[in-house]
Amino acid sequence: MLRFIAQRLFAALITIWIATIAVTLLIHLVPGDPVRIMYAGFQTTEAEIEAIRQRLGLDQPVWRQYFMYLGRVLQGDLGHSIVGSQPVLDTLLQRFPATLALTVSALIIAVVVGGTLGFFAAYRRGTVWDFGAMTLAIVGVSMPHFWLGLLLLFLFSMTLGWLPVGGSGWRNLILPALTLGLATGAVIARLTRSAMIDIFDQDFVRTAHAKGLPKTLVLYRHALRSGLVPIVSMLGLQFAYLMGGAIVIENVFAWNGVGRLAIQAVFARDYPLIQGFILFFATVVALVSVIIDVTYALLDPRIRYGT
Amino acid sequence: MKVRKTLALPSRATLLGSAFVMAGLPAMAGGDLIWARYGDIDSLDPHRATSTLSMQVWDQIYDTLLAFDEDGVARPNLAESWEVSEDGLSYTFTLQEGVICHDGTAFGAEDVKFTIDRAFGDNPSLTRTSWGPITGVEVVDDLVVTVSLDSTFGAFLPFLADSFSSIVCASNADATDFGTRTAIGTGPFKLVSWVQGDEAVLERNDDYRNFGKPVENAGPVHIDRLIVRTIPEPQTRLAALRTGEAHIAEPPFDDIPDIQASDELNLVVAENTGQNVFWQYTVSRAPFDDIRARQAVAHATDPEMAIEIVYGGTNQREWCPIAAGVFGNDQEFCAQYGYPYDPDRARELLAEMGYGPGNPLETTMYVWTGGNRHILAEIFQAQLADVGIQASIEIMDIGTMNARVREDNERTGTDAPGTFNMMTWGWYDPDILFALWHQGGAYAGYQSDELDAMLELTRELTDEDARLAAVQDVIRYLMTNAIHVGLYTPGWEWIFALRPEVEGFKVGAFLHPMFQDVRLTD
Repeated sequence: MLRFIAQRLFAALITIWIATIAVTLLIHLVPGDPVRIMYAGFQTTEAEIEAIRQRLGLDQPVWRQYFMYLGRVLQGDLGHSIVGSQPVLDTLLQRFPATLALTVSALIIAVVVGGTLGFFAAYRRGTVWDFGAMTLAIVGVSMPHFWLGLLLLFLFSMTLGWLPVGGSGWRNLILPALTLGLATGAVIARLTRSAMIDIFDQDFVRTAHAKGLPKTLVLYRHALRSGLVPIVSMLGLQFAYLMGGAIVIENVFAWNGVGRLAIQAVFARDYPLIQGFILFFATVVALVSVIIDVTYALLDPRIRYGT
Repeated sequence: MKVRKTLALPSRATLLGSAFVMAGLPAMAGGDLIWARYGDIDSLDPHRATSTLSMQVWDQIYDTLLAFDEDGVARPNLAESWEVSEDGLSYTFTLQEGVICHDGTAFGAEDVKFTIDRAFGDNPSLTRTSWGPITGVEVVDDLVVTVSLDSTFGAFLPFLADSFSSIVCASNADATDFGTRTAIGTGPFKLVSWVQGDEAVLERNDDYRNFGKPVENAGPVHIDRLIVRTIPEPQTRLAALRTGEAHIAEPPFDDIPDIQASDELNLVVAENTGQNVFWQYTVSRAPFDDIRARQAVAHATDPEMAIEIVYGGTNQREWCPIAAGVFGNDQEFCAQYGYPYDPDRARELLAEMGYGPGNPLETTMYVWTGGNRHILAEIFQAQLADVGIQASIEIMDIGTMNARVREDNERTGTDAPGTFNMMTWGWYDPDILFALWHQGGAYAGYQSDELDAMLELTRELTDEDARLAAVQDVIRYLMTNAIHVGLYTPGWEWIFALRPEVEGFKVGAFLHPMFQDVRLTD
């Protein structure tokens, strides 16, 4: 098992390393002089522009810029933001708990709603219930996050007046988590349905029924446990998807997480902050993938022994 | 020549929609007023940011030596009076007595010195060139301070009324977190907290006295707290306004007609914002190195019609290269040298250059994101196509556009056609023209020694009449050479939607929101 964890961690490190290359190149891919773009609107003289270029190492060859950046990253230094001159890592860490709260709540909603709906649709396969549940799932998958968010806002905040529109605090978390969770729940519902249909057709389930075990016991102990394996493996991917969705949703609901920070950084052309965000985001997604993989291996011994 | 400083509109803040004054309703003292905006402050340090969003919050925390009156003229404020030496190189300010900083220390000459020294210190202010050629600040006594200049500077006094010159109390010197958690000033509100990206909470400064701001209330504000919240999504902002979670917010553009038609919310449209939207061109190469191409674009486009379609009655045609309300702006004067909508004249100019049916002038129009400017650009694109100019549109953020325009001007040795752009600037003084068009200026655009000399004169002259004549010479030059062709004003970030219980909110000249008279009614 330790070897398996080490392998997964190594793969995650490779991903993060590739991200460091991508963020260094990023600054050179955008048309226009990055220093002028960053400092547009400021009363900066030519000499100062040159000094900034030197300070950021942008006067160096790209490969040297990369190693300078890597060296700083390894020491935990992601630089300072252009706007407000704040340490990038501190700013990201300050906002991350809000994003984590949002994505974890959304994941719980997605698993509970999507799992139940998928299980139910598989159990009632071919009926109008199955059709209804899957239509709902297709709508959920197809609808853009921000649109669903605005609809929920209209219903729960403006029409019913039950929930606040935006801001911080646990009541403000409900709508964004629901928006993000329902969209992901739709994906999980479809996945659960197909996984459960496969399981229901398996011999061991038929045998369990044939042994005369109570129906509920067969469904929950035999079928559901086996059906969970592919679903858990999907959760890693879904988490990355949720983190991406959080960027949009945080903006819609004014939820003060890293996603919204990223959008602010993009609009402010704050390169160090954008670079820091991408690297941070990649690291979180890579580490969560490791955790999911390990959980998967715990659930299904075949994975960890490579069989 | 009469200087036109105000727009021909009925009042400073035009009220649209329903009747605004809630006559007969009892006004509550106190209460929290929530102001929702699309973005946050960059810094609470007035030397570390340049955005309007930051400036509008500094206004609440700090005060300035001078203050703009309703017409945008700088009047005494924290400085009760001043004297200028005969050579115009030294200004001695006498400060108001009894003003107290938020931490309880007495405000005085040391605070003025601290602010200016800091603006020119090791980590100078981002807008330090706007302070002018200051060489030193001397404290004469507790309430008298002398500022010395290297050369005369006509835009010095107007700058002292702008938020970039906000006076920062010397007691901030010891704070390591100045600009984020500490911000001690003498303004109407004290900083309670600021969660970056989320909200800034300000509370009433009970010691505040107003000396020069154009408001009725000379004492502390009526409300208890001002909460400045960031809600980036326009529809969410509007929802917050409608549910009462916010009292003041910028509404989404597309919803403005609905808001005007309903009596649910009120609109305040700021005037004299100092904002100017204009055409400028890559003059370093073809086709816009030829004045006829620049004039053809100007004649082929009809800003009056375009802004009417996109903004209804909330924007005005602007002929001058500086905004309405700014010293030197005079519509009649500028219109003489302007380019009225005349597609036939545009076709003639293009024909002279060898363009015509089957051989259109091909170019690219840069526009920056937001404010429905992309719709304006499409209207202009259609108008240009009508005379034989094929302009593709590139939309980018303002920072990228600033950088791209400069690069386009500096790029030589290419066959790619020059571009033109719908540029925007907001400033309180014609000194902006120096920043834009003097050699080494913002965009490395049109440059000539003749223009440089004219621009230098606008900075050096301090006599109002002489400076006005110099500014108008520059305007005439920029317009007759089709270098800077005014389109419309105000520009952006100038509409505020208010809940009906908000009374007394106004926006002063150059986009300074004022909460001194604000009350929340029951």
